[in-house]
Amino acid sequence: MITKTFLKETKELLREGRVRITVIIVLMLLGVAVWISARQYQNVNAQYAMAKTAERAIWDNQGEKNPHSAAHYGTYAFKPKYPLSLVDQGVDKYAGTSIFLEAHKRNEAQFSAAADQTGLARFGDLTPDFILLFIIPLLIILLGYNSFTKEREMGTLTLLKSQGISSWKWLMGKWIALFFPIFIITALMFLVAGIVLNNLNDFGVFRWDSLLMMFVVYLGYYIIFINIVLLISSVTKKSGISLVVSLSIWILACLAAPKAASNIAESKHPYPTRQEFAANVLKDKKQGLDGHNPWSKEAKLLETQVLQEYGVDSLHQLPFNFDGYRMQKGEEHEAEVYFKHYNYLKEQFTQQSKVYRGLAAISPYLPTRFLSMALAHTDYATHWDFADAAEAYRINAQKFLNDNFAENSSYGEWSYRADAETWKELPAFDYDPPKLESILDQNASNMGILGVWLVASFGILLFTTKTV
Amino acid sequence: MIITDNLTKKYGAHTALDHLNLNVNAGEIYCLLGANGAGKTTTINLLLGFIEPTSGSAFINQLNVKDDAKATKRFLAYIPENLMLYPNLTAVENLDYFSGIAGKTLSKSDLKAFLEEAGLQAEAFQNRIATFSKGMRQKVGIAIALAKEAKVLLLDEPTSGLDPKASNEFGLLLQQLRSKGVATLMATHDLFRAKEVGSHIGIMKDGQLKQQFVAEDISLSELEQAYLNTMDYKELAS
Amino acid sequence: MLSYNFKYELKLLLRSRWIQLLSVVLLLLFGFSAFNGMEKVEKRKNDIIAAKLEVEENDKLMLQLLDSVERGLAVSVPRWTIPSNPMAVGNYHPRVAAMEPQPMAFIATGQADLFTHYVKPTVSGDDFALNFTEMTSPVQLLFGSFDLAFVIIYLLPLLIIAFSYNVLSAEKESGSLRLLAAQPIGIQNWVLQKLGLRFFWLAILVITVLTVVLVVLGINPFSEVAIYSGLLGLVLAYMLFWFAVAFLVNLWVGSSAKNAVAMLGLWVVFVLLVPSVLNQLGNTLYPMPSRSLMINEMRSMKAEVTEKQDEILDNFLRDHPEYAINDTTQQRGFYHRYMASQKLVKEEMAPLISSYEEQLRNQQNWIGKFKWLSPAIIAQESLNKMAGTATEDYEGFRKQVVGFAGKWREHLMPFLYNNQDFSQADYDALPRFTYQNETELQFGGLGILLALSLVLFATGIFGYKKLSGAGILDQA
Repeated sequence: MITKTFLKETKELLREGRVRITVIIVLMLLGVAVWISARQYQNVNAQYAMAKTAERAIWDNQGEKNPHSAAHYGTYAFKPKYPLSLVDQGVDKYAGTSIFLEAHKRNEAQFSAAADQTGLARFGDLTPDFILLFIIPLLIILLGYNSFTKEREMGTLTLLKSQGISSWKWLMGKWIALFFPIFIITALMFLVAGIVLNNLNDFGVFRWDSLLMMFVVYLGYYIIFINIVLLISSVTKKSGISLVVSLSIWILACLAAPKAASNIAESKHPYPTRQEFAANVLKDKKQGLDGHNPWSKEAKLLETQVLQEYGVDSLHQLPFNFDGYRMQKGEEHEAEVYFKHYNYLKEQFTQQSKVYRGLAAISPYLPTRFLSMALAHTDYATHWDFADAAEAYRINAQKFLNDNFAENSSYGEWSYRADAETWKELPAFDYDPPKLESILDQNASNMGILGVWLVASFGILLFTTKTV
Repeated sequence: MIITDNLTKKYGAHTALDHLNLNVNAGEIYCLLGANGAGKTTTINLLLGFIEPTSGSAFINQLNVKDDAKATKRFLAYIPENLMLYPNLTAVENLDYFSGIAGKTLSKSDLKAFLEEAGLQAEAFQNRIATFSKGMRQKVGIAIALAKEAKVLLLDEPTSGLDPKASNEFGLLLQQLRSKGVATLMATHDLFRAKEVGSHIGIMKDGQLKQQFVAEDISLSELEQAYLNTMDYKELAS
Repeated sequence: MLSYNFKYELKLLLRSRWIQLLSVVLLLLFGFSAFNGMEKVEKRKNDIIAAKLEVEENDKLMLQLLDSVERGLAVSVPRWTIPSNPMAVGNYHPRVAAMEPQPMAFIATGQADLFTHYVKPTVSGDDFALNFTEMTSPVQLLFGSFDLAFVIIYLLPLLIIAFSYNVLSAEKESGSLRLLAAQPIGIQNWVLQKLGLRFFWLAILVITVLTVVLVVLGINPFSEVAIYSGLLGLVLAYMLFWFAVAFLVNLWVGSSAKNAVAMLGLWVVFVLLVPSVLNQLGNTLYPMPSRSLMINEMRSMKAEVTEKQDEILDNFLRDHPEYAINDTTQQRGFYHRYMASQKLVKEEMAPLISSYEEQLRNQQNWIGKFKWLSPAIIAQESLNKMAGTATEDYEGFRKQVVGFAGKWREHLMPFLYNNQDFSQADYDALPRFTYQNETELQFGGLGILLALSLVLFATGIFGYKKLSGAGILDQA
């Protein structure tokens, strides 16, 4: 019974011209999208490798210099592109790619690709995620909207009923017939992506299990759509109405909900403007120790403390250069200020994420989008992780430089020059993205929401088709 | 009024209509009999200009349908087998709309008069068509023909699916139109109704007009015999 | 025929509840999106006001400090922030260079969520390192904003598709088409009238609902009659294009299901695919030079320049004798060397920086050449321009700010090199920034949309005759 219905539905689909043409078009688009993304990925990574080595060379070859001058001269942390960005570009286009690491200041990642493009970039790109998230659900609607309504319209429903069919098996047959082509297309795309990634050089981060997990997420997303489309087809009387209702759901879930969510999230939990943020940071910085200002109240306080601690009565008698020590203390205060303000941003981001999860109740697109980006290391959380790693590196680098200054010179010796070889001793910045396990851990709620969608849509579908 | 001159329609190798010659004058009702696929509906489609003839010509009121399709439609009214009107509009509104787009502006009372003449009961005038039976819809169709002052009426299986009473009423309506000088061509399976209302009867098979009769000259049983003979049901007939 | 179609089309639309449904849907969509737009504009205005207020207060403090210094009193701020030093004024008391929203900014977010609306350029900063991007969650940038432009460009066509995909096919499927075709009328003419009337009623609804929504939200749309009528004209032209598509699809495609699929396919092509493919091609043909490599270049240049600071300063002063003329002390400090070096770096980097601008311009031109392929691009561009949130607007702002940063620097340079103190009397002469909206209202987009629609309608009217009746009447 299930196989009979499956075979009949598949034959019907195969014999329809519109289905064949659409499937071919979708496959072609996928091919082009994968090709473009692979090229772009290679390009960006080549540039990344070049920039990283060049920057390190610039840092290493500064020559003799006061360590604090080197601290002001700073260095850069570049964000690499991860292999699964081939499947999902996520927010990469909108997040900066390089962070300037200098003394006294935590800088934001700069130079997002979108800022360097025309307004057209805001329409979106022809990338695999666009097709996976938008076009394939549309394909599901196209293949399945009349699955039940056509039986009504052709009058075959009464004939089938008179044959004493079990509506559950009938439904399963239709369900599998719709799932099968979608499964094939998706599996094909992921397989090709996996093979392409496996054969591209110069990264060790690609893991088949991440790709497989992504595949599972997308299959879940499609199953939800299949359930919804079949559900609508089984409760509507006419194919036309079924089509219009299914499309409205698509528009709502994939286009309207994310945008509305972004507006609500922003108005409820806004970010400060860049200038506001800078002003707030400056205000807090002024409250504490400024490493460059030996005359401030805080500097004097520190001075007495240190003199007391070491039991000496002049800064010259300290076993280290107090200028360097004060620099480091100032740096620590500033790092704290930044920590506080960036934590506020993160707090806003967490609140915004909650809004998105809340609206996932009306849109299975949202949890899928977030999961997919997270698995691809192209989500906002990974960007935060990268920025935090860069900041940790910056703090360490500042300590390294200030300690060098403090230990190798005496108080007031601003003319001190560190050896040209000193800079190489600073370890290079290295960043490892979160592992699959921790990503899944962090995105448990998104997985949960997707699971609820899956179970609920199956349940309602089974429940309603009982009475068809 | 209705003339076809060696009218022929081919679909590839298949000949749907083969050199048909017909002449229906004013005040005549010509009934075309024949099995499914005999070419009756093709004839009507050609007369309406919905399809183009492969060869030969069709004339309505001396106008060639192929050249003046739009002009010929001023003179003709057509009632398809399953007459569908706008379900969300009332009988009066449907009549107003269809005669309106055909270029006839009518007052409310005129519209009602035509519906009455077509035999629709007055209570139904302001009801939406969605609630109408096929017989009632056909009466609105006749009213459209009346309002248009059509000289030619083309009917495709008008009585199929009607109960005998409605079928009989429809026959009477056709007689009224006939007395006004309307030329009617009616494609039908219904031998009885053809004999009842027709002035002339033709039997078609495989796109050809096989036999023609004047209705008064032939009895119903003779007509049935002739029909079966034409259909090659000889053993049954004898 | 037109008067009868007119009379009965409205009746049919009212009785099938289309008009009521559309009114509610439009009211919700326009209401929500316009509200969002307004909120953003409000925030933008407030941010700028707050920033200006902060500067005003800072200026008061600065003048107080100057007053104390001039009267020879001791001040309790770090030495290098005392505003009698011109570099302190230039770095710690920058002006706000703000881009105030245009009156119709709420209709399209455009690039407004990506870029900042005010910056405070300082004397010692790098112009090309001025960060013009706004601090936004990239998730929001990815999802975009539910603004009026989104409703008009993405959703309105879908409403039109739902409203018009089966004008002819429904008649065919219900059987009334044969009766219609038996009337002395041309079918394409009839379809044209039906669609024309639906366009007419939808247009009335759109104009009414939009105007009502704006008035309720407290915007007087008639205060900017030219832009508002431009907006309405553009929306109507965009709608007309989709009705023209509906006209062709109705005449040629056939059954309702096929029509719906065909129109939807066209929607995907025009609204989603063509823009992204054009963008991708633009990026491939005119790739942006790598920003990471730009950083490398800038770094090595700075390193080089630092080594030769003294030489650079000497050269600089030789080229600018006017700077040292009134200076009797001839003192040369950090800033003297630094500013001279900065100037050199800026000049050396200029070709690289301009290569970004040039590529952006190339991409823009490329899109300009092919934008007629997608009415969605034309509509989006035009709406962004009306709102003053287009890429060009932000480019203009950037240029004006860089210009202003130069002015700011040049204003303070003579103080520096003449070793002249900045005084209270000099305060009023400090340069100020006012944003000039450079894009004029253009109706080119409107013209292209109308031309596209006309071509489609003409194809329907003249092309259909040859195929007279093909398909649609074969089988009832």
